[in-house]
Order: sequence, then C-alpha cells, then structure tokens
Amino acid sequence: MIDNAISLMIAIPLIAAIFAFMNGKFAKYAALIGSLIPLAISLQMFREFDRTTNVMQFVESYDWVPAIGVKYTVGVDGIGLPLILLSTIVTVLVVLYSWGEKKRPNQFFALLLLNEVGVLGVFAALDFFLFYIFWEVVLIPMFFLVGIWGGPRKDYAAIKFFIYTHVASLIMLLSIFALYFSYRTPEGLRTFDMLTLLAATGDSTIFSPMALNLIFFGLLFGFLVKMPAVPFHTWLPDAHVEAPTAGSVLLAALLLKMGGYGLFRIIMPMLPNVSPNYITLMAVVGVVSIVYGAFLALSQKDLKKMVAYSSVSHMGFVLLGAGALSVLSVQGAMFQQFSHGLITCVLFMSAGTIQHTAGTRIISELGGLADRMPQFAVLMMAGFMASLGLPGMSGFVAEVSVLAGSYENLPIYVLITVFGSIAVTAGYHLWAMQKVMFGPILKKYLDLKDPHSYEILSMSILVLLIIYFGVQPATITDIMGVAAEPLVKPFITLAQTGVI
Amino acid sequence: MTLGFGDYLSLMGAESLLTGLVMLMILLGLYLKNKNIQGYLALAGLGIALFLSIGADMTKGPIFFGTIEVDALSQFFKLIFISVSLIVVLAGLTRYKDSPAQDEFYILLLLATIGMMVVASSIDLLTLWIGFELASISTYAMAAFDKEKRNLEAAMKYFIFGSVSSAMMLFGFSILYGLTGSTRIAEVAASSMEMMGPATLVALLFVVAGFGFKMALVPFHMWAPDTYEGSPTIVTAFLAAGSKKMGFVAAFKVIFIALVALRLEWFMAFAVLVAITMTLGNVVAIWQKSVKRMLAYSSVAYAGYIAIAFVVVGAVNNGGFDLGVAQNGIAASLMLILGHAFSKTGAFIAVAVVGYMALREGRNNPDDIEHYAGLGRRAPITAFCMLVFLFSLSGIPPTAGFVGKFLVWGSAMDSGLVWLAVLFALNSALSLYYYLRVIMYMYMKEPAGAKIAEPRGYVLAMVVALVAVFYIGIFPQAFVDFASSAAAVLLH
Repeated sequence: MIDNAISLMIAIPLIAAIFAFMNGKFAKYAALIGSLIPLAISLQMFREFDRTTNVMQFVESYDWVPAIGVKYTVGVDGIGLPLILLSTIVTVLVVLYSWGEKKRPNQFFALLLLNEVGVLGVFAALDFFLFYIFWEVVLIPMFFLVGIWGGPRKDYAAIKFFIYTHVASLIMLLSIFALYFSYRTPEGLRTFDMLTLLAATGDSTIFSPMALNLIFFGLLFGFLVKMPAVPFHTWLPDAHVEAPTAGSVLLAALLLKMGGYGLFRIIMPMLPNVSPNYITLMAVVGVVSIVYGAFLALSQKDLKKMVAYSSVSHMGFVLLGAGALSVLSVQGAMFQQFSHGLITCVLFMSAGTIQHTAGTRIISELGGLADRMPQFAVLMMAGFMASLGLPGMSGFVAEVSVLAGSYENLPIYVLITVFGSIAVTAGYHLWAMQKVMFGPILKKYLDLKDPHSYEILSMSILVLLIIYFGVQPATITDIMGVAAEPLVKPFITLAQTGVI
Repeated sequence: MTLGFGDYLSLMGAESLLTGLVMLMILLGLYLKNKNIQGYLALAGLGIALFLSIGADMTKGPIFFGTIEVDALSQFFKLIFISVSLIVVLAGLTRYKDSPAQDEFYILLLLATIGMMVVASSIDLLTLWIGFELASISTYAMAAFDKEKRNLEAAMKYFIFGSVSSAMMLFGFSILYGLTGSTRIAEVAASSMEMMGPATLVALLFVVAGFGFKMALVPFHMWAPDTYEGSPTIVTAFLAAGSKKMGFVAAFKVIFIALVALRLEWFMAFAVLVAITMTLGNVVAIWQKSVKRMLAYSSVAYAGYIAIAFVVVGAVNNGGFDLGVAQNGIAASLMLILGHAFSKTGAFIAVAVVGYMALREGRNNPDDIEHYAGLGRRAPITAFCMLVFLFSLSGIPPTAGFVGKFLVWGSAMDSGLVWLAVLFALNSALSLYYYLRVIMYMYMKEPAGAKIAEPRGYVLAMVVALVAVFYIGIFPQAFVDFASSAAAVLLH
C-alpha cells in the first residue's frame, strides 16, 4: 500500500478542484478523475484494513503548530473507514449524476470535490484542531451549492444553513477548548490530540463531573444539530428543498453522517463518565426524531421535502442505536449511517430527476410516470423499498439490528418506535410512489422519456450496492462490530447506570 | 551597556531608511516632472524596511536614553505596519497614477508609518505621544486626500475627534508625570502602584479614553464609521488596518499599567465595555447598505474582540491564574490583530475596486452593496479575494482570521471567562450574516454590468494580502511563537 494514503486521498480532490475551477470544459473530467482516485485508494484501504483489531490504522502524524499542541494526525478505524468508503463512492456517483450540468460547470464540480475534501478530512482527523477545520470547511461548498444552483428561496436557505450549523460548531468548539485547557500531557504540554483528550475524560481528578457534563452537552449539541435531530432539524428541510439535486444528495448522504460520526467518535467514549441522564436524552431524542420525522414526512406535499424529513426519521435510528449501548445496536447504528447514505442518494436523485423531467415535485400534480419512464421507475421503486425497510436491502439490516439490539436495554423505546413509525414509514413511501409513478398517466406527461443514461447509471450502481449490502452486510459490519465493542464495554447493564 | 552609533543604525535601520527616503522624495518632488517613480521608491523603501525590521536584533536593550526599545512586541507591530503600508502603496500605484500630487500621498503614508513604528518601539510616554501625533497628523491629511466633499467632512471629523483624544491622552500623561516624576512607562507603572489615589485614577481614565478613541471602542467609536466611509478607500484600508492597530500597541503598553494599578475591581467594567463594543458593532453592521460602512462597523466589533486580551489579563490578575494564561491571552489578541490587519486591508482594497468601477459607470453611492451583484463574473479575481477576506474576518478556516479568533476563544475559556467566550462566539456567528450577504451578492446574483478590467495595482495588492491570509492561516507556528514572545515583553 502506498504511504500517506489518507493524505493523498484528501489532497487529490483538492488539486482536482483547482483544475476543475480553472476550466469549465474539462471540469467534469477533472471531477471524475479527482473522485475516482480517492475511491480506488479507499477501496484498497478497505482491503488492507486489519479487521481484527480496534487500533487506528493508516495513521500519519506530523507536528503542525507545536506552540499550541496542534498536530496533523489522521487515521481510521472501524468507525471512520466505512464512512470514508461511503464518501468516496457517493462523490463519484454524484459527479456522474451531474454530468450534464450546464450552469457554471467549473465552479459546480470544483465545489463537489471541495466537499469531498472536507468530509474525508472530518472522518479521518484525529486532532481536534484539524477536525474542527474540516468540519467548518464543509460548510463552504454546501453554502455555494445551495446559494448558486438552488431554488427560489435559495438566499434564505443558504444563509440559514450556514449560520445555524456554524453556531452549533462554535458551541462544540468551546467544549473542545474546555477539554483542551483541562488536560496536560505527562510532559506538561497541551494537546489537541483527540484520543488522548477523550481518554483523559475518564480521569475524575482532571474533570469535575459538573464541568464534564457541560463540555459533553456542548459537543452533543454540535452533533445533534448536524444530524439533525428533532428539535434542531429546522435548517434541514429549507436547505434540502432549495438545494440542487447534487447538493441535497451530498447533504443527506455525507454531511448528516458527520453528526453521527461525532456521536461514535467523541460522544460515546465520554458517555461512561457523564450523567446517565444523557443516555436517556439521546434515546428519547432518537425515538422522537424517528416518529416525528415519519409523521412530518407523511404530511408533505413536496416529494423532496418528504424525502428530507424521512432523513430526519432515519437518522433517529442512529441516535437510538447509540443510546441503547449494546454491541448489536451500536453496530446497527453505524451500519444505518452507511446504508442511509446510499439509500438517500437514490431518493434525492429520484426527486431531482422528476423535478427536471416533469417540472414539478408536488406529489398531487404527478401521476403515472412509470408508463413513460420504466427504467427510472424500477430504480426509484427500489430506492423507496430500501428506504421503507424491505428485507434483502441494506436499510432493513441496519434498522432491524438497531431495534433488536436496543430491545435488550430499552424495550419501551423500541415498542414506541415500532408502533409509532414502521407503518407510517411504509405509508408515506408507498403512497408517494403510488401517486407519482403508478396509475393512469396524466396527459401532460405523455411525452416524457427515461432520463439521461448517466443518471440511470449512477442510480443503478447505488441500487446494486444497496442490494449487495442487504444480502452481504458482513462485508462491512464486521469492522463496525469490532469498533462498537470497546464503546459498549464500560456498560455492563444499563440498569446499573440508572437509565430509564 | 552603551551602544554606539552603529548599533543605533542597525536597531533603527527601518525607521532611519524610511525617514531618509521621505526627505529624498520631498526633494525629488520639487524637480520631477513624471512623479510615478515616487510610488516605486516608496515601495522599494518599505520592502527593504520590512527586511530590516525582521532582522533587527531584539536583545540589545533600550536606546536613545532609555526611550526606545527594539523588542519582539515592537517588531511584531512594525511587521504589521510596514506590510499594510506596502499593500496600500501597491494599490496607490494604480489609484494615483499620473496624478500631479501623488508624491504627497506616499510621503504622508511613509510619515504615518514611521510614526506608528516609533509608537511600537516607545517605552516612554513622550516619545510615544510624539510618534502618535506624527502618525495622526499624517493620516488627517490622507483622509482628505482626494479633496472631495465627503473626504473633507470625514477628515474634519477625524481631526476633531483625534485632537480631542490626543489632548486627553496628553493631559493624562502630564498628571502621571506630575505624580510620579517620570515619563518612563515602567517607572510610572511602578510608582503609581505604590501611591494609588484619586489623581492616578483620573489620569488613567484620561489615558484610557484617549486610546479608546484610537481603538474605536464603544463609546468612543462614533467617528470611525463616518471617517472610514468618507475617506478615499485605500486610505480607509490604512486607517482601519494600520492606524487603529497603533492605538492597540500603545494601549497594550500603557493600559496594562492601568489594569495593574486599578487592582482590577475594574476589570469587570472593562469586560462589559468589550461585550458592548462587539455586540453593538455587529448589530449596527447588519443594517448597513454600504459595504464600506459595514466593514467600518465590523472594525468596531473587531476592536471589541481584540480588547478581550485586556479582560483576560485583568481576570488573570484578579483570579490568581498563572502568567502563562495572560501571555496566551495577549498573544491571541496579537494574532487576531495580525489576521485582521491583512484581511481588512484586502477587503477595503476590494471595496476600492468596486467603487472605482461604479464611479466609472457613473453610479451614485459607489460603495452600495448593489454594485457587488455578480462580481464573481464581472471581476473574478477581486471577488475571489474579497470572498477569502470575508471568510477570514468571519473566522472560517483555514485563514489568518480563523487562527486569531480560535486563539482568542481559547484564551477566554482558559481564563474562566466562559460567558465572554460564548458571547464572542455568538457575535461571530451574527457577523457571518452580513459577510455572507456580500458573498451572496457577489456570487449568487446576476451581474449588473459587463466584465471589467481589474486595475493591476489593486489586484497585486489584494493578492499579496490573500497570500498572507492563507499563509498565516495554514502555517501559523512562526507567527504564534513571535506573538508569544511579544506578549512576554509586556509581562516581564
């Protein structure tokens, strides 16, 4: 394996972005090459990854700003690697899906690549300073994607997205500082090293319970807004509805996963040392997001808005799984991140394709599209089935793992989830599908055709991946399981910690 | 240790060179027909001065009978002053090309820079005041340089406020001298600690008020937006990024006495002043339609952010933290000053480009935000530079502004001022709104006219600032070390 795999993976899209920015004609080729190479690197990393241990692999570490204890440290374990794989896959497919972009292609493809840089950096960074930089860098491409290529209310949506998530990041940053200033290494130095600081939170001589609880709250807030969990989800529908298809896909498939990643990387290692009420809080917020998100989705008239709220609902499973603290549930939550990343791409691509072929996304104005767009209908149907949890597809595996794993510790929560959301989830998917695709075709849609081959191609690849991971989840869940074990180990039974 | 003439020259090389250059330029101005060469002379002089002051030996101790000292603090600020002047001269090469009085612009600029450098090096109240006045008087003239109506109004306002604040400062100094019998800052500090009384208090209040004007802290900020808006834009860049920072270096040197002497029951009052300054600056900036005025108010907010260092030092003195915390706090502010200097200079020069373009198209209100519509396509380089400067000002990585804000947040948390850190964070998020609005106009609105040829001098100036902003943002180590040793000078 080449040395510095992770740095290369982050640097190549950045360089490609500069090339893409300079020439609009070749931008898409630069973007394709600049995203295929990281994909190749991440696949190779996935093959070479040692699946039996939980230590960080492919680690690179260099001094950066020694004056304040900042290092450039990157590395992956079972938490980060699947998301890196997801990011590289999704970026390639989004570039492919957007192959026909005519409006300012140079900026468009450069921003897609820049987004990949930020996301990969977040998933690989092991230094809080570096982590925060990438965390903020991600906002910039998304702000422009929404603001330039967005719908009618793009100005409002872009600014709201940027400021809302920026405030959350700042609160997270203050918590990071509190961690940083509480701890000195044995040599008496300050450090931003993530793993060192997180390990230090277990030392009650350094952190008073009160301080640690406050710090924890700041971090949790930052991640909940990003995920987004109810009641911090209000930026999401605005951003999604106004964003162009590629922006929505990246937002739902990758940016939301940053919040979930933070949950596993930073929140869970701190959980044993903070008030057990937080575990209850996470589980409650998770269940509320699942159920409330599903009902919100049910009530939407706009197909894309419905898909956006379904994301809130599905990301709730990640919170519930993390809060339930059994190996199966945590592993399931990690897999839900990966699986939702793939499924939501298909959904948003479907909504985007319908928008630009039929000219509207309002569900009640559509009808019978399957008649003229058979290939597209198959793919969209597959995506919707995956999203509602059809067995044999990845969403089913993930959600069943979360629910089964959680039942052991949080039976009531699981019951509420099952009875409150499963039927509704199936309902809004099927109802929308039925109205949009099936039934007699409306006259105004008689001359529609299947969309461009590149759109069909990227959606087909996604559907194949969803089915593959639905049938063979162990390809990737094994490393998630290895990563989940140490997170859960400190909790023998939840009853002991006083979780309701 | 007595230092010979050779030492003086090596320590004050940059100042000597620039003073000599000013004389030469005045003489040349009498004889030269084509004065364009003067700008290049100034540029070359500043370039050499930059190297001379980076290379100056910082360990030699005081010179000129103990009134001037070359140390890390003074060199840190000289680095900022010279770089800002350099960038402004670059822009001036285009702005005042072929103008008959252009040499006066460069001469005034150099004189102001020399004044600021003297302030940075002073360890005596008198030399400090003289440097202050040299810089102030030169900038009064610069503010009125284009002799348009709004220039004159701006300059008049600036002059009146400036002279009142100088008078206050001088009055404060004279009381301090009467009380302590010395004008050396260190001796004044030591004696006023011993015999703290109502008179000392009055003197310090006058001094704080005098500096407050220069730094544009609320409630002494009223002149700043009007002056910044009315002056020629490249002069505004110099005022906001250079002249204001002179207020800070002087305040760092003198106000710390006040902070120590006042025994810090007062530091809370200062904290409230800082909180009001940043909040007011940001809230008012939101409502501005003129980008120049918006940037002026954002400067007021920045004065608040930078002054957090005073509060941190106060808290450290008050709460028994170790001196390292205070040192980090000051170093953080210095980094913020550095980042702000480059980002603001650059941003104002971008405003100058847009104003220049709007004026040529015969529009009114050349700084109105409407003229920024579609700038990304009309003037791609300017728009991109402006974008980076605005992101830097709002503290988005990887820029110089981010590093500064990051360190200041850290130092506020470290000294236990969590509420101030949170307020700062909220303010920073608030400021994002008006910065983003400009970005929105530049990239997300349809262009209001045809593509324009971007003036070369301006572009060069912006690119220099852009490189500095990114370089400091990505490789902050050397600068943090420098700022840290500069902070140590203040605390020893």
